[in-house]
Amino acid sequence: MKAVHAFCVVLLVFGSVSEAKFDDFEDEEDIVEYDDNDFAEFEDVMEDSITESPQRVITTEEDEDETTVELEGQDENQEGDFEDADTQEGDTESEPYDDEEFEGYEDKPDTSSSKNKDPITIVDVPAHLQNSWESYYLEILMVTGLLAYIMNYIIGKNKNSRLAQAWFNTHRELLESNFTLVGDDGTNKEATSTGKLNQENEHIYNLWCSGRVCCEGMLIQLRFLKRQDLLNVLARMMRPVSDQVQIKVTMNDEDMDTYVFAVGTRKALVRLQKEMQDLMVHFLTHYADKIESIHFSDQFSGPKIMQEEGQPLKLPDTKRTLLFTFNVPGSGNTYPKDMEALLPLMNMVIYSIDKAKKFRLNREGKQKADKNRARVEENFLKLTHVQRQEAAQSRREEKKRAEKERIMNEEDPEKQRRLEEAALRREQKKLEKKQMKMKQIKVKAM
Amino acid sequence: MSTNNMSDPRRPNKVLRYKPPPSECNPALDDPTPDYMNLLGMIFSMCGLMLKLKWCAWVAVYCSFISFANSRSSEDTKQMMSSFILWPLSLLPSAAVLDFPE
Repeated sequence: MKAVHAFCVVLLVFGSVSEAKFDDFEDEEDIVEYDDNDFAEFEDVMEDSITESPQRVITTEEDEDETTVELEGQDENQEGDFEDADTQEGDTESEPYDDEEFEGYEDKPDTSSSKNKDPITIVDVPAHLQNSWESYYLEILMVTGLLAYIMNYIIGKNKNSRLAQAWFNTHRELLESNFTLVGDDGTNKEATSTGKLNQENEHIYNLWCSGRVCCEGMLIQLRFLKRQDLLNVLARMMRPVSDQVQIKVTMNDEDMDTYVFAVGTRKALVRLQKEMQDLMVHFLTHYADKIESIHFSDQFSGPKIMQEEGQPLKLPDTKRTLLFTFNVPGSGNTYPKDMEALLPLMNMVIYSIDKAKKFRLNREGKQKADKNRARVEENFLKLTHVQRQEAAQSRREEKKRAEKERIMNEEDPEKQRRLEEAALRREQKKLEKKQMKMKQIKVKAM
Repeated sequence: MSTNNMSDPRRPNKVLRYKPPPSECNPALDDPTPDYMNLLGMIFSMCGLMLKLKWCAWVAVYCSFISFANSRSSEDTKQMMSSFILWPLSLLPSAAVLDFPE
């Protein structure tokens, strides 16, 4: 009985151990092979651990080193145990396995089986931890784009500069023979010719010429394409545009008669009509590939200025002006030698300046022009009548307020009294005047 | 007068100095590209910094470059530099690629 009891206890102990192992083994094959034999588990475990552990070494990467060390240790131990077992078995074949032999060994299968419990997933090293070029493809792309942009900026800037210089070299003689002052940026104390273009931008160059009969001055603006901006270059591939030369001649008042005249491509004139305040007259449309538009006016005041208060209160100041806009041939693919083609156009400009001085409207034309102008002014005044009244009212109120303040601030009481009296008298006079006016209107109505 | 030849149209006594056109109307008429690009650059760099988006930072870089290329000479360099300074701030964290998700 006691022996049986002891045997049962031993069985229980081994059973609990084996059950634990049974739980650990999630692998079906192991569970299937698993025997009720108390000690068979060790055989299976040993064999399986031997066969599976090399595989485990191959599959797990994360704990690679750890597993190999442990398993190597295990292998050595196993081999050692085997040898011991073999020798022992050789000696005692019939005897069952000694518990003591496998004391240390029990833990290792446990650890290996516990490793089996964790599902082993193969995880790739995340991209941002890799040190390969592929992970930086966005940066490389962007930097390449930026370098391309910078290269284009330098090339475009240089080309524009060369074109401007070529234009100036071609036209320098003509300008210097016609104007005293060629090239002025307005910063020097004395009016001396700088003899070079004024660079406003990477694509806009100005030149101011002055000192001639008939005209006050001439401003030439070379408006090149934005070759320095890559976006613009790409946009121009869709829609070809030309470089432009804009010339604005400000005439003396006495040298130009009262007329407005415009010639140009239809598109240019439509746009001009919208933008310029003085283009109200009937214009001719005449195609010329180099001439974008020609616009002579005695009422030139610049483009329409958008004002916040609605209608401007008075007509803007006007100047007598001739405006020319020329397209540079080449429609974008311009070379410095193309600038020579513009020289005849500049001659035409000079010629028109002289001609404009001589051109006089005949009597009828003059009358018509004057009538038109008077009509325009009247219309304008009507439109702004209300606004002008309000403005006048507000000005009067301001004056009154200023006077009152002055009276209040006056420290001397005598002076204060006198000022007050003066103000009163002025108001009385005004009232009287108004009354007189009303009476007159009444009389007229009657 | 000997100087008043018919063939020579120049008149030294009638020289007028160059006056740059008034600046109130001009900025509105001029191309608004540099101003828009400046603004966009600042917005994108802020977005890139706050929301940690790498592409925003790169777009900001491009915007500030375009604004610089299109800028007028009369513009204040300070204004231009403001957008130029912001994009490195948003791009530098992304340069340490670990911080930004791809």
